[in-house]
Amino acid sequence: MDVTEIFNSLTGTFPEAISEAAVESKIRARAYVDKEKVKEVCQYLKDSLQFDHLCVVCGVDYIKRNEFEVVYHIASYNHPVVLMLKAILPRENPEIESIVSVYWNANWYERETYELYGIVFKNHPNLKPLILPEEMLGEWPLRKDYEGFPNKTARNLV
Amino acid sequence: MEERLEPNEMIIHLGPQHPMQPGPFRLNLRLKGETVIDADIELGYIHKGIEKILENRTYLQGITIVDRICYLVALVNEECFVGCVEKLLDIEPPERSKYIRVILEELTRIQSHLLGIGEFAEFIGFVSMFMYAIREREEVLSLIDMVTGARVTHSYLKFGGVRNDLPDGFKEKTLPVLKGLKKEIDNFEQMFHTDRIYRERTVGVGVLTADAAKDLGVSGPVLRATGVPFDIRKNEPYLVYEDLDFKVCTETAGDCFARVQVRLNEIRESIYILEQCLDQIPDGPLFPENTLYGRRTPVMRVPAGEVFYRVEDPRGEMGMYMVSDGSDRPYRVKIRGPYYPTLQALPPLIIGTTVADVAAISGSMDGCTSEADR
Repeated sequence: MDVTEIFNSLTGTFPEAISEAAVESKIRARAYVDKEKVKEVCQYLKDSLQFDHLCVVCGVDYIKRNEFEVVYHIASYNHPVVLMLKAILPRENPEIESIVSVYWNANWYERETYELYGIVFKNHPNLKPLILPEEMLGEWPLRKDYEGFPNKTARNLV
Repeated sequence: MEERLEPNEMIIHLGPQHPMQPGPFRLNLRLKGETVIDADIELGYIHKGIEKILENRTYLQGITIVDRICYLVALVNEECFVGCVEKLLDIEPPERSKYIRVILEELTRIQSHLLGIGEFAEFIGFVSMFMYAIREREEVLSLIDMVTGARVTHSYLKFGGVRNDLPDGFKEKTLPVLKGLKKEIDNFEQMFHTDRIYRERTVGVGVLTADAAKDLGVSGPVLRATGVPFDIRKNEPYLVYEDLDFKVCTETAGDCFARVQVRLNEIRESIYILEQCLDQIPDGPLFPENTLYGRRTPVMRVPAGEVFYRVEDPRGEMGMYMVSDGSDRPYRVKIRGPYYPTLQALPPLIIGTTVADVAAISGSMDGCTSEADR
């Protein structure tokens, strides 16, 4: 299965939900996805296009645009194409559908994104902090306007 | 985990400090008699905030920081980080640098696997095996030390090349070590295959089927032990792996025994790769000509863009997603470590087994909590 085939199949099936799709090279493709349709698109990718391996889910804070991006890298055990899916969320009340029911290992990635950015994953089975202590919930340390680094952590120690 | 206990049940906290663990994490086990009926993991005891630190450092300083993700495989972490930046800068290291990188990364793979095998044997009570493995590992570390000047955290790779050339007599010193190692690996294998107690502790323990492993998202030797030939070096060749002859080692059983067997076979393949590299390595410059990026990298601005780059870590698929906004620091770096999904898959794997097997299953994953926490 090569990258143009995947690209055509994806854009053909979801003309509304997928935008700005592009093929970067033989093994890389990218697309923006509507935040309401993430789960459906992932389900289609897994069932029909052999994308059975979720590499990583992460957040990026674009503070100048006042937006968050949730970035999914989805790969396959059978073909070398890695698809980068991005969903844009507003900075106020960022919420997106969880994909744990599609990709089991998204669980920890979503918990981590939640505690670091405050992005809420709806219908997540167990949305609580993973690597940060409970007291740091609400600090959202990886947001660009977080001022605690490094002074706050140092102050707490003294 | 729910605290209320039924009759005959109890909760055991393994960790944060426990001899079975590759680093501090807490494994809560809910037991009924001797059977594990529920398990969950608490992370965060060694969280270093590397992703945030990288956003506040220049690219060159970043090389030193990524060493600390997991000190065992520092060179592979560097390869991933440097590879990302090279993709953004659109430069490519010359042939000789690529070969030197492959040589060092394969040496890293060998020493990581040796420690993994040794630790695993120690966890199930085969303590002298740990000593045998560490003795061999020390020789490999000395070779890496000879080139980079450090045993574990090297800061050796640079954008577009490597810091310094191989020292004189490197080939002459490496070949005898590899020859001895080959013999030792045969010895290890014979020990593992004939020791009755070892076999009883490992064969059929912690079985993972290929479909389950794919669903859980694991990679590396744990996945290959189930029969899935997934290796980034083959699937998405980087450096000079395309020109080298090696095979992806797989087993079909998917149990602890198979995982160790895959690691032993991979050490053999790495030795074979090293022998090819030492024969084929061309002469030439270490850095591409007509670029600024040499041994003395200036304060540099990296063109805006984003890239996802994957390499094969000894434990599986290592990837980094880097976003650059055109300044001298990365805008965002996401590190996708291989042990993170593997550790996540541990609770489903140990539910239903006995307490005695928890150490064996956890040890056979060959983990590094430092990398899971970052």
